Amino acid sequence: MHLVVDKEGKPAPDRPWIFRTYAGHSSPRASNQLYRSNLARGQTGLSIAFDLPTQCGYDSDHPIARPEVGKVGVPVNSLDDMHLLFDEIPLDKMNTSMTINATSMWLLSLYIGLARERGIPEDKLTGTTQNDIVKEYLARGTYIFPPEASFRLIAEMYEYCLDRVPDWNASNVCSYHLQEAGATPVEELAFALSTAIGVLDTVRSRGHVPPADFPRLVGRISFFVNAGIRFIEEMCKMRAFTELWDELCRDRYGVTDEKLRRFRYGVQVNSLGLTAEQPENNAWRILLETLGVTLSRNARCRALQLPAWNEALSLPRPWDQQWSLRLQQILAYETDLLEYADLFDGSPVIASKVAALKKEASAEIARILDMGGVKSAIESGYMKTRLVRSMAERMRRINTGEKIVVGENKFSEGLPSPLLTGSDGGIFRVDDSAVTETLAMLEKTRKSRDPKRAAAALERLRAAARGSENLMEPSIECALARVTTGEWANTLREVFGEFRPATGVDGQKLGLETDRVAELRARIAKLTTRLGRRPRLLVGKPGLDGHSNGAEVIAVSARHVGFDVIYSGIRLTPEEIVQSAVAEGADVIGASILSGSHVELAGQILDGLAKAGAADRIQLVMGGIIPSDDFEALKKRGVRRIFTPADFGLVDVMADIVGLIEERVDQR
Amino acid sequence: MSAPDASDGAIAATIERALAFHTLSIADLVGVFEDARPDAPARRRRILELLGAHPQRRHAALIGITGTPGSGKSTLIGRVALALSAARDLSIAVVAVDPSSLASGGALLGDRVRVRFPVDRPQLYFRSQSSESELGGLGPDTFQVCRLLHHLFDLVFVETVGIGQSEVDVRWLADRMYLVLQPLGGDEIQMLKAGIMEVPDAIVVNKCDEAKAARRLLASLTTSLPLSRPFGDGPPAVLQTSGTTGEGIEALAEDILGHVARPANGLGDKEAHFFRRWARLEWGRAGERLLEESLGGAANFVASAGGFDEAEERFAAAVRKALAI
Repeated sequence: MHLVVDKEGKPAPDRPWIFRTYAGHSSPRASNQLYRSNLARGQTGLSIAFDLPTQCGYDSDHPIARPEVGKVGVPVNSLDDMHLLFDEIPLDKMNTSMTINATSMWLLSLYIGLARERGIPEDKLTGTTQNDIVKEYLARGTYIFPPEASFRLIAEMYEYCLDRVPDWNASNVCSYHLQEAGATPVEELAFALSTAIGVLDTVRSRGHVPPADFPRLVGRISFFVNAGIRFIEEMCKMRAFTELWDELCRDRYGVTDEKLRRFRYGVQVNSLGLTAEQPENNAWRILLETLGVTLSRNARCRALQLPAWNEALSLPRPWDQQWSLRLQQILAYETDLLEYADLFDGSPVIASKVAALKKEASAEIARILDMGGVKSAIESGYMKTRLVRSMAERMRRINTGEKIVVGENKFSEGLPSPLLTGSDGGIFRVDDSAVTETLAMLEKTRKSRDPKRAAAALERLRAAARGSENLMEPSIECALARVTTGEWANTLREVFGEFRPATGVDGQKLGLETDRVAELRARIAKLTTRLGRRPRLLVGKPGLDGHSNGAEVIAVSARHVGFDVIYSGIRLTPEEIVQSAVAEGADVIGASILSGSHVELAGQILDGLAKAGAADRIQLVMGGIIPSDDFEALKKRGVRRIFTPADFGLVDVMADIVGLIEERVDQR
Repeated sequence: MSAPDASDGAIAATIERALAFHTLSIADLVGVFEDARPDAPARRRRILELLGAHPQRRHAALIGITGTPGSGKSTLIGRVALALSAARDLSIAVVAVDPSSLASGGALLGDRVRVRFPVDRPQLYFRSQSSESELGGLGPDTFQVCRLLHHLFDLVFVETVGIGQSEVDVRWLADRMYLVLQPLGGDEIQMLKAGIMEVPDAIVVNKCDEAKAARRLLASLTTSLPLSRPFGDGPPAVLQTSGTTGEGIEALAEDILGHVARPANGLGDKEAHFFRRWARLEWGRAGERLLEESLGGAANFVASAGGFDEAEERFAAAVRKALAI
């Protein structure tokens, strides 16, 4: 009764979920070595991290790409790189998950191209392309095309895969990044399910999939979910997801086969709550968050990847990843978790919590559908505004101490962590020589390919994009013809245009209404009189990293205390930041960087200011994930202040910036 | 930080560089026209004197662009400016005005996100301004900055948010005014109610890539426009554009060039209105009454003072005397 049994009634523990580690860096060759050693250590699937140029559709030698090549993932410029990346990894036996979105169709085409050149039938490929453009618009920022075109690409991948790569998850609806951006459990449920509805409605209305096959397509929708520290609520959220999805498939899409209505999901547990202070505490957080998505058998994840304890400090080293993998192995192989039936069926506490989440989420889904669905809710900025508000509310609760973060706003007194005292300071650095190798390979590809075939493939892609032909086959031909990532994306950019989404900076409440805010406003009023105008702060994100919510919270806080804030957005070259700051007469540039390229970008901005003759007028402060080891070098270079996730006190950050301007005015 | 040198020679040199599109110099001059300190009007007067006598000075037409948030004004301006600059080699400045917070007075100026000018084209200049009010409309310094940019560029766009009364000032400032509508909103109804349809010279239906909704909006405009402009010279032109795909941008560029005559030297004809506005913003109703009842009205006062900046200085003194402060 309580044990999981097989057909003959003998105890038969469940098979564990797929163990993954999100990995990739430097170059295809270095990443290949990493994957092979991870698989040798007992990892059972691949989760590929791509660098930002690959995610945003730029070749490694594009000016905006150069500082980012190989930083947060592996660069892939062409099929030649794919051969290196998957060297000696059997594609037909591997479950490969790719964190790739705007350029998903391209990476799947490269993967299929690779299989074709290796003589592996496409229908043997299993894996996932993340391909959730909604959360890119809302949180992660690696979008390229406007919603209509983006949804077309997603739909065409589903249509292509349905029969030809039947075990491929063409997209993975992500609530993960919504939680990272501050979403509450209800928003996570509602926004993710609305996104799935958006995808399915798009495919259905295109009419390319016969109604008889549609349930099978519904069965291909999978999800990628976040698990936060409130692990009981998180487990209830997973149960609510499972039940809501089952009902939706049945009622909205008429799927009768229960198996096709199953909520299939992978998890990466939460990184947002991981702290830079006392980083060793994060190991416990990761463990507890893991329980939220594994304890309940009825809502257990299919695949799990864990962050590393030091993620708030830097990208993980191989040892950090191994430590996280061991947690999964202990839970699955040492404990008795997989022997039991669902532990929570019949619990009135769990049942009522699940019912409450379902009710609220259903109401929110109905609201979004009333607006015209997920595409309209993005374009109007509704979803973004909701998320930014939730994030601001989260920050407010941490600021006021209502929400306790151990080691951060409570029990912050502690012994220094011995984990950080190794020769590498406990953090990972990308080897710069890898970039040279990547650029050389790109050069070689361009030189050695048949230029006529490449040009013809791009022309065919362009024609298909203008018309209504499915773009998969033309894209695979591009892959085989050694077209590069940038060429593929640029061709579609020319046809579809580029998207600039709503910023979501409106209507935020920060909860900073304290005496200190009043005091700061008075200081700014004084500065305004002395300057003859309000102090001006330019906030922007240089480079390709699109996690804009931190920058937006800073922008809103600065307005709240009385700055005129020029918000210049994301994906800016250092030259564009300098141009904006000079033209706007800014006093301070606040540059936010999470991709690890802070040293290069800071140098380029400061050089640009000097060249424009504005070095003595405009000061540079930086925020983001910046290891303290780099502080000295950045300050020496001329960066005036550095803010990291440890500086969660927004009022302190603002006071610091006001102080910098006061200092300059005093010197005049 | 060294404040920009205020000597005549330094000002002349800055002007020289600004006319050659040196961004930092342009920004420095703009700073003087946004400066609220008491010595600023004298500096502004000096700059305009030097600039007005400079053989290379330009005479920009002022183009007003207004519409509700989300109608795609910024993207549209970005596109049109690039088109005009590339095809006709025009120098263009954009002043984008956003509302500010009443609580803190600070503002979040986000229009730059949507307008990306190439870093190697300093002939395209973008400046964000706060309106100092929650509603939108022009900022207190917008007219001041336009007095300057008028001489530095071939064309100046002024972008404002808001519907209704706050837009009337733009009408006074702009040589031609466009109202941007998006097909998705029910905005057109609100605009008809607010009477804003009386304001623009032309209406731009943006985001016309949403074909169905655009057709609906066009239909509702063609039936209701004649009704909403009882005093106008017939219905305004209606243009269709898409900031995303670039459709209709060329036609809008043509419309702009076709309708703006080369304006006179300086913004003298607009000064009276903006002087009255300035007097009201700075000194309230008491100031406005003083100007109208005791000092002969804005037009006379500015004329007798010998210019806008002199009038500002003289009026400030007159108010202080009248109110004994």
